[in-house]
Amino acid sequence: MKLSYYPGCSLHSTGAEYDASTRKVCEKLGIELVEIEDWVCCGSTPAHQCDELMSIALPAKNMALAREQSGLGEICAPCASCYSRLKFAQERLTDDHLRRQVEHVIDARYPDDIKVLHMLEVISEKVGADAVKEKVVKTLDSIKVACYYGCLITRPPKVTAREDFENPTDMEALIEALGAETVDWNMKTFCCGAAFALTRTEVVVDLTGKILADAHAVGADVIAVGCPLCHVNLDTRQQQINEKLGTNFNIPIFYFTQLMGLAMGIGPKDLGIHKHITEAESFLKERALI
Amino acid sequence: MKIAGQKESKIDPTLAEEIRQRCGENVFLCYQCKKCASGCPTRPFMESTPTELMRYLQLGMIDEAMKKDTIWYCLSCQTCSARCPQNIDIAHVVDAVKIIVQEKNIKVDTGNAKLFNRLWMTLLKYMGRMYEMGLTGMLNLFSGKPFKDLPLGIKLIKKGKLKLLPTIKRPFEMMKMFSRARDLKK
Ligand code: SF4
Ligand code: SF4
Repeated sequence: MKLSYYPGCSLHSTGAEYDASTRKVCEKLGIELVEIEDWVCCGSTPAHQCDELMSIALPAKNMALAREQSGLGEICAPCASCYSRLKFAQERLTDDHLRRQVEHVIDARYPDDIKVLHMLEVISEKVGADAVKEKVVKTLDSIKVACYYGCLITRPPKVTAREDFENPTDMEALIEALGAETVDWNMKTFCCGAAFALTRTEVVVDLTGKILADAHAVGADVIAVGCPLCHVNLDTRQQQINEKLGTNFNIPIFYFTQLMGLAMGIGPKDLGIHKHITEAESFLKERALI
Repeated sequence: MKIAGQKESKIDPTLAEEIRQRCGENVFLCYQCKKCASGCPTRPFMESTPTELMRYLQLGMIDEAMKKDTIWYCLSCQTCSARCPQNIDIAHVVDAVKIIVQEKNIKVDTGNAKLFNRLWMTLLKYMGRMYEMGLTGMLNLFSGKPFKDLPLGIKLIKKGKLKLLPTIKRPFEMMKMFSRARDLKK
């Protein structure tokens, strides 16, 4: 299986371990990722809240590049925000007037037949939990995982075409295939405050505090995520949350691809586990997983 | 129009139409069920709720729609858009209002969002990709909090998660794209 790969800016910086673990896991599963050469930023939230036209043109530019360079019909975007911007662009570009404007801006034809997939969709739909199970060499049966989807992997349904957007379960199926237990909890699609990570930190502390509290209350040992922005917020703000709420959270936050990698026998260094701010390596040692 | 106990509101009857032209959403479809407000994660921080915003837009209450901080607490989390029984893309409506406020340079406290957006788009225009160090540094500097999150930043640099130097991709193409888009908008 061969897919275009659009890592996005975060996977080249704060989400470096998501990029590393995605590549390693895909290699094990026989998925070839062809990175779009010299891709540009999707514009993310700032673009759509200040420049409607560019917010559609930037994703369209990347889709046009993918088509020109490799001719592949599918793009894998592991970042929930990139994924959402690509999908939003596709939805809006069904409008002919806007499409003509965007094609003028990017000076290229917009390919309207590309399928955009989040990394979670690539694994659950194109590989399947059963095939993942066959690759497991080290069961994760010593940990309890809260699967966290955040906003944009599942919402809005007119863009993601998901019916289960209030209570998605595909990440759970995948994590259970690795031998781990998953928990039933309330905050799996609650927002972490991503867009305010740098501007309204007090909101982020409030929202992530609620997410961590719920995961803690149902007895989860770790939280699994599929978005670099969710990861940054949940992983880096725990100390601040503890100071503000008087709590004692110390919950390791993993990308679901890192958990897959661990179960498939990929080394923790290769999966970038040492890059987390909330200590994850000692937790895994304690549970005899590394 | 006058609401009891409040000062007279300025009415702009073209407001709803302007929103429709900008984002294609018809605010008159809203029947004030409050589903958007009840699921909104930042509603407790907002001066008025997303439901109230829809009402202001229907009635053309331009100051209430543009000058309250409601839109600037919206995270674009898409909960409201996903749940609205009338299929209104409320988050898209909020974006349209944000864009009007920024374009018309209306003086409101955006919680540094306007500065953040401008820095982001400028970096993008010349570099093609986001440069987190530059973005955070400039944001903190211009917003008067130069040392905000400094200890965390240092940790992230040590972990190799923040690059000191930017990666520059397709700068000329990007500048041309931005200028063509600007011409189209004129
Ligand atoms: S959910 Fe829709 S119909 Fe209900 S109040 Fe909000 S915008 Fe109006
Ligand atoms: S998109 Fe904005 S207004 Fe809608 S629920 Fe989320 S934060 Fe609230």
